[in-house]
Amino acid sequence: MSDPRPRPRRGLAALTAVGLLLTGAACSSTATDSGTVRVGLLVSLSGTYAAVGEDMQRGFRLYLDTHDGKLGGRKIDLVVADEGDGPATAVPAAQKLLERDQVVALTGLVGGATVDKVQTLTTQRKIPLLGANARPAFAPVGGKPRDLAYTWHTSYNSDEPGIAIAEYVKAQVGDGQVYAIGPDYQGGYDELRGFTDTFTRLGGKLANPDGKTLFTPFPATENFLPYLNKAAETKPKAVYTFYAGAAAVAFVKQYAQSDLADVPLYAAGFLTEGSVLTAQGPAATGIRNVLNYSPTLANQANQDFVAAWSAAGHPGQPTTFAMASYDAAAVLDRALTAVNGEVNGEKLNDAIGKVGRVVSPRGDWQFEPTEHRPVQRWYLREVRNDGPVLSNVLVQDLTTLPAS
Amino acid sequence: MRVDAYLIPAVDGVAYGLLLAIAAAGLTVAFGAGGVLNLAHGTLIAAGGYVAAATSSGTWPSLAAAVALAAGVGAAGGVVLAAATAALQGRGHLDQALLTFGVALIGADLLTTAYGSDTLRPRLPEVLEATIRVAGHRYPVDRLAVLGVAVAVVAVGYVVLHRTRAGRLIRSTVDDRAMVAGIGVNPRLVDVVVLVAAGALAGLAGALTTPILGVGPHTADTALLLSLIIVVCGGLGSVPGALAAALAVGVVQTVGVTSFPAVAPYLLIGAMAVVLLAHRTSLPAGASA
Repeated sequence: MSDPRPRPRRGLAALTAVGLLLTGAACSSTATDSGTVRVGLLVSLSGTYAAVGEDMQRGFRLYLDTHDGKLGGRKIDLVVADEGDGPATAVPAAQKLLERDQVVALTGLVGGATVDKVQTLTTQRKIPLLGANARPAFAPVGGKPRDLAYTWHTSYNSDEPGIAIAEYVKAQVGDGQVYAIGPDYQGGYDELRGFTDTFTRLGGKLANPDGKTLFTPFPATENFLPYLNKAAETKPKAVYTFYAGAAAVAFVKQYAQSDLADVPLYAAGFLTEGSVLTAQGPAATGIRNVLNYSPTLANQANQDFVAAWSAAGHPGQPTTFAMASYDAAAVLDRALTAVNGEVNGEKLNDAIGKVGRVVSPRGDWQFEPTEHRPVQRWYLREVRNDGPVLSNVLVQDLTTLPAS
Repeated sequence: MRVDAYLIPAVDGVAYGLLLAIAAAGLTVAFGAGGVLNLAHGTLIAAGGYVAAATSSGTWPSLAAAVALAAGVGAAGGVVLAAATAALQGRGHLDQALLTFGVALIGADLLTTAYGSDTLRPRLPEVLEATIRVAGHRYPVDRLAVLGVAVAVVAVGYVVLHRTRAGRLIRSTVDDRAMVAGIGVNPRLVDVVVLVAAGALAGLAGALTTPILGVGPHTADTALLLSLIIVVCGGLGSVPGALAAALAVGVVQTVGVTSFPAVAPYLLIGAMAVVLLAHRTSLPAGASA
């Protein structure tokens, strides 16, 4: 038993040595090429949200590919790493990007928990973190609020969709009650709280028996029928929900088969966003939902974006995930244009603070000066046939958040 | 409270329970008769689900083909497992668990590579996608169809196991392998047949679950966990026990979650703990056999 052991160890050491030599060679070769800037893209390539991660990667690459692989006149060396299912895999991957690859900016990040952990790493190293998806409510560290100087997002806060649609739903149901249901984890709490707080503040009443949102076990529950039939007994005028991924498909399919089938369903737009919509099929028709983007927006930037998306051979229509990542590239493009000489994290971060108005497929937006997240318009969408495909068709503008 | 408030969840619970029974039957038969602790069972279920989802395109013939293919893929998986575990003959359940768990991990990874990380769902004929009225409530036709198929499978399984020579041989192998060998039948051959049949049951369960729950990267884990809970609750190697436990789990999962939402996540594990405590003298002996 004692003999075979050292051999794999020796092999491992040899491999590591070769690996180090190779990376050393790679570093020296790019160091001489002063026009190249290395950017890290950290997204889920495996795990539950791999579909979202792939969408984000497509969005970022689409911007690069339509701009000669350059941002701000500089060649971009994009290093992609796997976030996996959360911090356990994401933190080592982020450390590798920051330490070994020496990236000057980090973008992507699918999960809120990942953002929460990686944010402290990038802040310590003074590297701008340009998140393109979930943004958590940052918990204080050591009793002090987070330093957000190096933290930026091109997406949204999780409670914003609910806040944006609450007034519209209140107008639709009048004096009627709304049943609120969502998944039992942080994202679910944030999404539902955004809606229920605003809705009740406007004088709305929840149909839930105890006046509180019903949270279903996550990710254990994919059989929603019992919950939906129970909810139907409260005779609500409408239902508000947020689910994403596999649970969203199951929820929408079963809603159409439940006693609630004829009750209007309102939702945060993730319920019907991207590949889940294809899987839901006709059962999703008529669902009204809220998001900061619709592929049917009529502005020029969006028409170019959607056309480029199809031309690149990607299936379906672009999603808010792809769009926010595309915008992250657009922000870097403008910021890098403003950086003189060699690029480092501090210079790039200052430049991001000065990009001003970003022309975007979602409509133009700019960073909120202290929280570094977009001040943007939210849209009401409805799932309908757009030509042969189901799409989240724009119905109307709702509001601009965060309200100033 | 009206009676029909519980009727629909109860029907739902029975349908779900029968589905779980088919899933768990394969596991418990493989353990009881084949002597194999098969941790790759969930992966076989997922494989059946993926194949069914990829084959069924909304027509009746494609649906029939999907079900047959799913069972076939599960049976093929059973052949692989029989071959792999043959080498471990007489080395105890821990070695089997390690081997089949390794197969499960590799298989699950291959499935996600082949079919992507999205949750897939088959397209059913329109009749099955509709809903009908049951006691004034809307109820999905696809679940009723699954309920019917599950009842049929359980009935056929019972008849084969208790009314045919093959079934008697399988049950004898569980009780006394030496006696089976004595009457001129190779018990190892019986093991192989049982593993293949268990695999086919797993594939079939996968095909039947996909219309309702879909199939995705988590299916293998969830299916294995639920099957293990059912097998533990129903008694290792007992098909009627698995059926009873599966029905109980199905009802707990549908009626329990809405009636006691606060403790819903713990109901199943709680039920299993109670069963284990009640059996605490007999189970370890059975498990180490």
